[in-house]
Amino acid sequence: MAEMPVMPITKNISPTGSVLRRLGGWQSTAIGLAGGLTTGFMAGWGLGAALAATGLTLAGAWVDRRRSREQAVALGATAAFVAGTDQVGRDVLPLWSAHIEQSRAQMEDAVAALSQRFGGIVERLDQALKASVQGGDQGLNGVFERSRGELHSVLESLRAAMASNGTMHAEVQSLGRFVDELQQMAAEVANIAAQTNLLAINAAIEAAHAGDNGRGFAVLAQEVRKLSAMSGETGKRMADKVGVIGAAIVAARLSAESSAQREAASAVASEAAINGVLDQFHGVTQALEASADMLKRESVGIQSEIVESLVQLQFQDRVSQRMTHVRNNIERLPALLADSREHFESAGALKVVDVAALLRELESSYAMADERSTHGRGAAASTAAAPASEEVTFF
Amino acid sequence: MAKTIMIVDDSASLRQVVGISLRSAGYDVIEGCDGVDALKKLTGQKVHLIISDVNMPNMDGISLVKAVKELPAYRFTPIVMLTTESQEGKKKEGQAAGAKAWMLKPFNPPQLLSVVQKLVLA
Repeated sequence: MAEMPVMPITKNISPTGSVLRRLGGWQSTAIGLAGGLTTGFMAGWGLGAALAATGLTLAGAWVDRRRSREQAVALGATAAFVAGTDQVGRDVLPLWSAHIEQSRAQMEDAVAALSQRFGGIVERLDQALKASVQGGDQGLNGVFERSRGELHSVLESLRAAMASNGTMHAEVQSLGRFVDELQQMAAEVANIAAQTNLLAINAAIEAAHAGDNGRGFAVLAQEVRKLSAMSGETGKRMADKVGVIGAAIVAARLSAESSAQREAASAVASEAAINGVLDQFHGVTQALEASADMLKRESVGIQSEIVESLVQLQFQDRVSQRMTHVRNNIERLPALLADSREHFESAGALKVVDVAALLRELESSYAMADERSTHGRGAAASTAAAPASEEVTFF
Repeated sequence: MAKTIMIVDDSASLRQVVGISLRSAGYDVIEGCDGVDALKKLTGQKVHLIISDVNMPNMDGISLVKAVKELPAYRFTPIVMLTTESQEGKKKEGQAAGAKAWMLKPFNPPQLLSVVQKLVLA
């Protein structure tokens, strides 16, 4: 910093005053003495003149003494002021600087921690969104479609089983026709046996009419009668068996019909139940997908809001810089004030702090346009947060 | 493979904010707190772009640009100055040192990403 001019305690002293000052603190005495001598000269050196001269000299001496006391008091006050100012520089300004730095550091730490938390939230949202996109194939809609396909396959299997039972029922139905035919055949056998027996009886009668010539024929007729009796018995047994088989077939047919009816009812009920469940499931999956879509949209919105908030947190960097510039400038003062005190103690003259140089130094530390604006106006510029800058220069 | 960008700034919160913007766009990020720290971390690291502040302790951004341009492995690595400095003189210093762009704070994340995409090494 350039050497400032030394200012004497008494400023603006005239040449006469300078001469008189060089006489030390006797200027009033000298004036009084000069006055007395002049009076004595003018009055002819009589007693009165001598008394007047003495009075003037004494008055001058009294004024000098009084002025000396006043100057001593003023000097003491000035020394105390300078010492006090120096003490401000030693005791107060370092505290201001320390508080500013601590505030700046606390703000920086808090904003950094806040930014980190926000950053963590953004990352977690990003991962959640990515996971929901990757789960597209496994998504609810895909699960629903696969489930519907599998359940419809089950229904198809049921229908196929029912169709197979129907075939079996038809086969059983056709067996009934065979039973009818067998019964008819058994009846024919019995009829044939009966007819054969009648023929045998007629043959026996004819053989009897034929006498001895018909004896052989009578034996034959007898054998035929035996055979017809046996055929009749066989026919009867056949009829009985066919009757049993027929009854069994009827029972099977009835059972199959009953089973088919139950199966059909069961299939209808199963299909209705499955479709009902699928409809409900579809409703739920649609609602869940709609909810998931909304969550995705909200997550993206929240991410944007957080990123915008982080942009606003950039204020901390600007404030931190500004506080550092002010702190650095404050820290210059203690040395300047100490220098003023030393100069006063050694030379008895006040040394004014170079304000212009301090301001120049402060201004040279500025980086931001609004710092320069505030400096130029001498008052705070707009207190609103600076908007995001659109200025980019490519080289 | 994700491109790597180095952020150099003495403000931890600002490194956070820039890092979040870059990571959300798919870039990997490494950080330095000043020019000296940045040069240490560059060693052996593949970096596609450097974003640096100007006013930093130990080594300022302009000095960092000059130092990076002296390193054969990073001679062609583009450097963007992201700073509060608005004086033309400082801007010219950055240009003379070899910076590719000069961007003022506070920055707009979409605009930063646009600048990065334009300059990042292929």
